[in-house]
Amino acid sequence: MWLMICSSQDASALWAYQGLRARGLHPFELVTAEMLTTTAKWEHTVGADGANFNVTLADGRIINNRYVSGVVNRLTHVPLQHLAGTPDFEYAQQEYTALFMSWLKTLPSPIFNGVQSQGLSGAWRHASEWVWLAAQAGLRTPSYSQSSHDEIDETLQLRRIVPDGTPTAMVITLGDHVFGQNLPPQIANACKELARLCQTPLLGIELTLGPPHGLWTFAGATPMPDLRLGGEPLLNELARQLYVNRPRRNS
Amino acid sequence: MILLCGIPTETPFALVREALDYNGARYVVLNQRKFSTMKMSLEISGGKPSGKLQLNGDSYSIDEFTGVFTRLMDYHHLPELKDEPVDSPQLKFCGNLFDTLTRWAEISTARVVNRVAPMGSNFSKPFQAQLIKRYGFEVPETLITNDPDLVRAFRARHGRVIYKSISGVRSIVQTLSDDDMTRIDNIRWCPTQFQAFVEGTNVRVHTVGEKVFATAIKTHATDYRYAHRQSGDHAALRPVDLSDDLAEMCVNLSTGLGLAFAGIDLKITPENYVYCFEVNPSPAFSYYESQTGQPISRAVADYLSGS
Repeated sequence: MWLMICSSQDASALWAYQGLRARGLHPFELVTAEMLTTTAKWEHTVGADGANFNVTLADGRIINNRYVSGVVNRLTHVPLQHLAGTPDFEYAQQEYTALFMSWLKTLPSPIFNGVQSQGLSGAWRHASEWVWLAAQAGLRTPSYSQSSHDEIDETLQLRRIVPDGTPTAMVITLGDHVFGQNLPPQIANACKELARLCQTPLLGIELTLGPPHGLWTFAGATPMPDLRLGGEPLLNELARQLYVNRPRRNS
Repeated sequence: MILLCGIPTETPFALVREALDYNGARYVVLNQRKFSTMKMSLEISGGKPSGKLQLNGDSYSIDEFTGVFTRLMDYHHLPELKDEPVDSPQLKFCGNLFDTLTRWAEISTARVVNRVAPMGSNFSKPFQAQLIKRYGFEVPETLITNDPDLVRAFRARHGRVIYKSISGVRSIVQTLSDDDMTRIDNIRWCPTQFQAFVEGTNVRVHTVGEKVFATAIKTHATDYRYAHRQSGDHAALRPVDLSDDLAEMCVNLSTGLGLAFAGIDLKITPENYVYCFEVNPSPAFSYYESQTGQPISRAVADYLSGS
């Protein structure tokens, strides 16, 4: 089976789920974060036989990593609203998040995107690290600065690389492909290199195109792009990669 | 120049500082509690970081720092800030100061002990166990579940079973007792981690770059860190030599996880199987150094100095 793992509120993921099903991936199961935290029965093992999980959802479906053929993973957090107000709520949050990090690690490739120690569906990086990585990948980057005396409070607000209101375009990398904009080959290659450097095959990259010389310049990146920006061509390639790269198992 | 960041009276910090003094190394101390006297800026242009750090009345180009030791505490808990309201300008300033410092350390070419990102694997023990296994170590049979029947079956299969947190929170290892089993239905609301108990000798291995310090711990407690509380006796520590192969495995594990300095918890069985339980990215090495005389802080100082 193939899996779409996402929040029930993730409109982009739900769109992709329908589109990928329509392309013939079967069985393709939608598993939301909410299903996994409310009434699911968990069995996750690690040991001499490797790491495995078997989760029984409230609707009776059983998800077992041994039968997973490919995954689109869009989890960003573990929703535990149903436990809010309980005395050990914060402890439960930490425990569930640690569990999610681990069971997601058992999922086989192809997976877009796999868990990393900095994020459930790929590493969430600070703006400074994205700028640094983008420059290494060969993208033109704006000068970046931050200091102890900045007005921003990053506990409340995400730091942006370009000023708010700057027009940007989003492209989405998927392996050796770039969707969403028709980029010059050198820029497209640099975007693919950035995805490779950050080990996030499905990566949204924000770019500006503008003065002084009409150059594409890096403006941000995310492991959770709005997949709809890649349109049908992105879904075609995603379906192809999920199918062609699925694990071959002895029956 | 080496930058030491943290609370100078904290023992591991003080030991590294003493070792740098002994080596005659040049260093500056960033005392976290004196944050209000500091300023820091970071610029990144063409992928190259630069900037200034002002502390102790002096100004440093961050390019000057070739080694960084960070043992920063959560600034919200600093005595100077713990009673501040959430919208306090002091809190915001402190947050921006240490964020700037941390962001620079993440991308700096300096030797950093340790960067934040690689420390993330320690947030989830079973996640880290999957990484540990790739480096050739055994990992204990582990079950995480919210199904009491599965726990009963696991206990029947393995005999002595321990339980502990999945994350790093409340991480005290306890033996699963008959009394615990009377409350086992409580796990239904939050999955819990159980492990087959592994018989053998506890060994804490500190790796510092390529250097390895192994300490055997003798105790009757389930969790030797809490030996006095659990068994009434203090744990006995002594230095031990690892085989070259095992020492290499430990170094490979630490470097593979991106950690210049790590505390690796092993248990070596009578049959000589080597189980690895955890890799601690911010080890309280002073406990081991004070009990055994192993020169761990000297190794950290040497590493920071580039040797």
